[in-house]
Amino acid sequence: MMLDEQQLQKLLRLKKFEQPPPGYFDRTLNEFHRRQREELLRRSAVQIWFERFVSGLWSFRVPTYAYGAAFGAFLVAATIVGSGVWAPYTETIGTSSDLARVASSPPAIELSSNRLALNGNVDWSKFDRSSASPRVVPVLGPSQSALPRYVLDGRPVSYEASFSF
Amino acid sequence: MDDQNLPDDETLVRLTQNGDTRAFDHLWQKYSPRIYSLIYNMTANHEDANDLLLEVFAKAYRSINGFRGKSSFYTWIHAIAVNMTINFVKKRGRRFQLSLDDLDANVQNDKEFIDLTAANTPVREVDLSELQHRLNEAMMKLSVEHRAVVTMFDIQGMAHAEIAKILGIPEATVRSRLFYAHRQLQNYLEEFRKK
Repeated sequence: MMLDEQQLQKLLRLKKFEQPPPGYFDRTLNEFHRRQREELLRRSAVQIWFERFVSGLWSFRVPTYAYGAAFGAFLVAATIVGSGVWAPYTETIGTSSDLARVASSPPAIELSSNRLALNGNVDWSKFDRSSASPRVVPVLGPSQSALPRYVLDGRPVSYEASFSF
Repeated sequence: MDDQNLPDDETLVRLTQNGDTRAFDHLWQKYSPRIYSLIYNMTANHEDANDLLLEVFAKAYRSINGFRGKSSFYTWIHAIAVNMTINFVKKRGRRFQLSLDDLDANVQNDKEFIDLTAANTPVREVDLSELQHRLNEAMMKLSVEHRAVVTMFDIQGMAHAEIAKILGIPEATVRSRLFYAHRQLQNYLEEFRKK
């Protein structure tokens, strides 16, 4: 005959009678105190401070008025910036003097012969070093012969009709 | 201060948070037997239960400032104990020996024990220490998660909802774990009987 559900539950309830000897919990409390004292002596002040700090962080609650204050500050800042009373970035180019200065400055790329070829086939004998300026910047322009290509969903796509379906 | 004049748990926790170590001693006196029973029935080893009991209370003491009272102290410290014990048992693996606490002499007068041994049941012929040994061996064959549920429900008499809160799982999961664990225990005990 197999144990039924009720008999099993009764049997398991008997396990509550498995008890440590009398006085065990008082002795263990003394042991607990001893370990606590030992731990306090072992830990450095920094560790104790850090533990309290972390514990404080967990118990930290944002006061309710802080949300209102933050929203108010945002509104004030938005009003000031929106009304144009204060603009963090001002455009200085656009006046006639600035435009003249920009026009008179030497072009970034003066001679097509001085362009730096990035493919490594440079004929250095024809390179005019005297006119080379530190401001000459190599420019990568779009090739006129190449069709524009785009990438959609990780696959290169061109304007040419695709024959694969 | 005797047990009847003790403040409630909430007050004891608040006093402990304010640095009153005696308040924590009262919490120890109130809950250590239940926590010990929980750990002991999950580990089946007195020495392990002893060490874990101390560690659980040490952890509770260290983290009591973070306890906000969203659940009862009873639930909170049970959750610490269950999690620490599950971790311990998983780390320990199969390296353990059954070390049993003696059965209280009161068991002989317990109505359920008398019923079980007097009636025509499979446990009738088994003597007390053997019964204890068999039960513990069967318990140790369960997974630690199933053992935790059986301990809290069948041995400690907790409700499903309370166990669910402690373990952080739905009540339905508690019920299904209990059902599965009972089936396994019945099978193990049946095997013993056949031997």
